[in-house]
Amino acid sequence: MTLADGVQLVSTLILAAMVIGAALGVVLFDNIVYSAFTLGGVFISIAGLYILMNADFVSAAQVLIYVGAVNVLILFAIMLVNKQEVYSPVPRRWIRKLSAALVSAGLFGLLTVMLLQTEWLPNAAQTAPDSTVILIGEHFFSDYLLPFELASILLLMALVGAVVIARRESIVGEDTAIVGEQPAPVLELPERPREPVA
Amino acid sequence: MNSGIDLQQKFIDTLSDLGLSAGVAKAIWIPLPMVLMIFGATVGVLVSVWLERKISAAAQQRIGPEYIGPLGILAPVADGIKLVFKEDVVPANADPWLFTLGPVIVVIPVFLSYLIVPFGQNLVITDLGIGIFLWIALSSIAPIGLLMAGYASNNKYSLLGGLRAAAQSISYEIPLALAVLAVVMMSNSLSTVDIVDQQSGYGILGWNVWRQPAGLLLFWIAALAECERMPFDLPEAEEELVAGYQTEYAGMKFALFYLGSYVNLVLSALLVAVLYFGGWDFPIPIELLASWIGVSPNNPVLEVVIAGLGIVMTLLKAYFFLFLAILLRWTVPRVRIDQLLDLGWKFLLPIGLVNLLLTAGLKLAFPVAFGG
Amino acid sequence: MLKFLNKVGEYAKETVQSAQYIGQGLSVTFDHMRRRPITVQYPYEKLIPSERFRGRIHFEFDKCISCEVCVRVCPINLPVVDWEFNKEIKKKQLKHYSIDFGVCIFCANCVEYCPTNCLSVTEEYELSTFDRHELNFDSVAMGRLPYKVTEDPMVTPLREFAYLPKGEISSHAVPHTTPRAGQHPQEIAAASAASED
Repeated sequence: MTLADGVQLVSTLILAAMVIGAALGVVLFDNIVYSAFTLGGVFISIAGLYILMNADFVSAAQVLIYVGAVNVLILFAIMLVNKQEVYSPVPRRWIRKLSAALVSAGLFGLLTVMLLQTEWLPNAAQTAPDSTVILIGEHFFSDYLLPFELASILLLMALVGAVVIARRESIVGEDTAIVGEQPAPVLELPERPREPVA
Repeated sequence: MNSGIDLQQKFIDTLSDLGLSAGVAKAIWIPLPMVLMIFGATVGVLVSVWLERKISAAAQQRIGPEYIGPLGILAPVADGIKLVFKEDVVPANADPWLFTLGPVIVVIPVFLSYLIVPFGQNLVITDLGIGIFLWIALSSIAPIGLLMAGYASNNKYSLLGGLRAAAQSISYEIPLALAVLAVVMMSNSLSTVDIVDQQSGYGILGWNVWRQPAGLLLFWIAALAECERMPFDLPEAEEELVAGYQTEYAGMKFALFYLGSYVNLVLSALLVAVLYFGGWDFPIPIELLASWIGVSPNNPVLEVVIAGLGIVMTLLKAYFFLFLAILLRWTVPRVRIDQLLDLGWKFLLPIGLVNLLLTAGLKLAFPVAFGG
Repeated sequence: MLKFLNKVGEYAKETVQSAQYIGQGLSVTFDHMRRRPITVQYPYEKLIPSERFRGRIHFEFDKCISCEVCVRVCPINLPVVDWEFNKEIKKKQLKHYSIDFGVCIFCANCVEYCPTNCLSVTEEYELSTFDRHELNFDSVAMGRLPYKVTEDPMVTPLREFAYLPKGEISSHAVPHTTPRAGQHPQEIAAASAASED
């Protein structure tokens, strides 16, 4: 075993331990902020695993998208809605817990079977490609064209939806300021009529 | 194209001659450039802090630090030593773990980004295939640390500062990436070394500034916002937020934030030099100069001179932009948060997209000039 | 469509304009860099206080008639006048006089109203001490004259802007002995005296 192989093995083990530990942290922490931060740890550790597999572009994309965008947005949501809520105990909660456990166990079983049945490392002798970017680009525009385009359409839809929601101007304070009369419905924000864009 | 000086190969060869195996020699080599780079980045920070104080003073008709070393050059060292010896205060109601982790998470990615800054053909820690993309990815980790610091301080100013910093970071990442993408499109590679190579050969005429003037402006504005420099320093706007997410920090933890912000600024300046000003490239093609003097390009003395000149050129260009940033700091007043987000989303983003589209079109139309 | 294009054009125009303004601002800041520092490197350099400077108050013990006008005109009744009536000469005899310069606001009302001119303002302003009670000056301390900045060999005296020669904006550039812009009061007086003759 050469030095490089040894380093790779040790880092794989460390990263795997980090992924599992951080993932457990996400689930087990009572404080939701801790969960969000450990989620960031999970993402970064997975990015490290990608690097070990010579997938440097995927790894950087993982950091950029999951850590830099998704996790930050989750944290944003948590910190802006910093509301302590006391949940009233739900009757027959054990049914929910049991069903959740069943689903999780099923998923775990499914993934295990998938792991065991997949033929990993189709050609182990294959050396690292010169540029993963070019390789990914070729795949995107040949055999993975359909998923790629579908994903772009999905993102476009999300974008349009976000713009529609963000453009809505709700009137806060004007209606609620009227004392007496009829109070504005609680769960609905009155909207200002929009002027058509030129 | 002369590949320039290759320290790594020479180092390994020397050690191999001493009777070590090539693998061991390489393992000994690996940490050296990293340590050198961390050291260099720290010295760069000291220099830029000193420059900041001196140039600020000059812009305000003051003198600035004068008695700590010649021309006050040791003032930042004194600052650093003071911060090291200060008491490490953790507020009683703060979250001690997150409070400690916050500055660390902010600093590490910035130092890590120095991996891809080239000072010569082989004077770079690693010539990664994803080069500049690594920097963009790493710089997106910083908001997590800022949010962590803001949340852990248990202070409303800190939290607001952290949220602002994260919002600003996310918003300006996109125009930054678009500006970089236009450059990358022209050089057909994400690697910083390739980006410089594509600009070299014609001296000052070949630099990307002439092909990407809008991209340069876009990049510089976005980079200033990412570094939280003066017109965009709302996360630590002292008039409204005390010091933002740094409010509760003291001693070494504060020093990490301070160091991180300056390292980031120097890094951004270096990357402007690399992306738009030909990196280590001399304004007059070096081969032309060598042939004028009548030296063969493979002369070992010339190789060392060229390597040194490359480092000096890169630093000169970078420090010119640092100077510009400091000058901007005393020229432009701070923007409001809504103006900041407006500028990012409604101005820089469309400009960036148009710039990208134009670059793509020009690349198809004039493949000679735009790196077809 | 035309309306939209107009909007885009106006927006572009505004953008160019704001860029111009920022450029203008940058050139102003850049221009400041080549100007000499206006700072005074205290304690190696000191400004010469202007003619009407109201510094620490000087007191002449022998002139004082203990009338206590200074106390009455003082906004906070600060001067402490300790006197005793001498029956033999039927006059008030001053025993002690003191002003606490830690409390004084240097309005110089006392100087203005003193009937015997035993109070006057000096140009001394360096009143820092380790204990604020040291600022409570008695008649002896108030009788001392301050050093003149121009006579101190350790100090480079600098003039304020209004006292510089015509066209000069930096006090570092000229020695403090060069005549200042315009006429001195003595010159004006001499000229008017000559014209009256």
